[in-house]
Amino acid sequence: MDNLSYIAYICIVVSLGLLVPLLDRKMLRVVVFIIVGASSCLIVSELNNILLHLYDDDLYYVTTTITPITEEIIKAVPILYYAIVFSDDPKQITACSFAVGVGFAMLENIIILIQDIDSVTIMWAVIRGFGSGLVHGICTMMIGMGISFVKKRKKLFISGVFSLLSYAIIFHATYNLLVQSEYRYFGIAMPLLNYIPFLIVNRKDVSKFFDKFRARSAEKEEVSE
Amino acid sequence: MIALNILLTVCAAIGYGFGIFSFFRGKPPLYVSLIVYGVGCAMVGRLFETLQLFINGEFTGDFQVGMFGIIGSFMFFFSANYGQMDSLVDDGSAKYRKYRIIALLAPLAAVLMYVGYVIIEGFGKSTIIRGAETLLVSSAAYFHLKHLIIPDVENGIISCIRSYNLLGLFYAFLCTAEILLQVIPLPNFVLIILYVLLSAVTLLIVPVLWRGVKKWTT
Repeated sequence: MDNLSYIAYICIVVSLGLLVPLLDRKMLRVVVFIIVGASSCLIVSELNNILLHLYDDDLYYVTTTITPITEEIIKAVPILYYAIVFSDDPKQITACSFAVGVGFAMLENIIILIQDIDSVTIMWAVIRGFGSGLVHGICTMMIGMGISFVKKRKKLFISGVFSLLSYAIIFHATYNLLVQSEYRYFGIAMPLLNYIPFLIVNRKDVSKFFDKFRARSAEKEEVSE
Repeated sequence: MIALNILLTVCAAIGYGFGIFSFFRGKPPLYVSLIVYGVGCAMVGRLFETLQLFINGEFTGDFQVGMFGIIGSFMFFFSANYGQMDSLVDDGSAKYRKYRIIALLAPLAAVLMYVGYVIIEGFGKSTIIRGAETLLVSSAAYFHLKHLIIPDVENGIISCIRSYNLLGLFYAFLCTAEILLQVIPLPNFVLIILYVLLSAVTLLIVPVLWRGVKKWTT
């Protein structure tokens, strides 16, 4: 039998690829980045297999220490390229980086499902969908958002990108550590606890509220002085 | 050890939380944001280490991801100091040369401590990652010391944040000492003092910076 990861990858990418000619520019960008994310996952799965052998098949050590590094670096590369060559718009970069994370998580979940087909359940799917989908999405989005800030400042760019990568790597490793322990529900809650406040703060009406709050605080400070 | 790590994580979380809360009260300069994210990075690194100790009872292998917490946090500090602040306080002229030279003492001290670590521990995987850590700590420490001693520019931009720079320098020194103390057999109370000091600094660094930065606009 051919490698099932490649079969799953082809199934996803061909279906999404068929959608590409029908989409407008905005939607097209997101779909292309989902495909890029799935492709990154395929590359990482091969790389991780090599690393697993190098570390004497110590799956626990590799998944809590090594794979967060390889995965975050490889997911960040297309976003970095896109930000440097094509776009200055923080919103676009953020959306595209989340799409890379989602595409990555999609194929990763399928690969894990294939490897462990006998023990998967609906609950497993729900947990993996929320947990892994959000972790990959959030980590890549953090890098994307940061890149859009530091991109125009040459002095900040290299150190900024590496610091963001460090942040994302630790976040990812913490999730991997928790979901493999008896505290796995904390692991699943962790990305949700980051994603929900992010969604709330980025709502337009909430942003307006904070702008008003800031203006009022500034006024109060002026008066007190 | 877990208790000390929990203390460190909680203090870093409070410092980071304070920074994030301040973002809602007033739009911060990028310089402040970078420092806040630096403390945030230190917090997630410490959280990872605490969880690993809690779940496994020990760190797995020579290298663990929590080390990126220190690396990332000093990279953020370095980005802020070099990328945002340094060009405002140092125009590169000869009159500031002596301050640049004196500031080299900070990285020199960090490197000497690292050399001590390598002599005791010997060369291995951990010395490489600790070397990277020391490199970043010393780069950030250079700017902290420089901004602590350099004369002020017209707008008083640097004098407002001298206490922050002092804390930053102290934090860099403590982080390097933490590396060194891992290989020197010392009584437990020395480690306890180190971790308590580290916790206090991570707790205070953002509020002290914020207090200084507020003076920029008043």
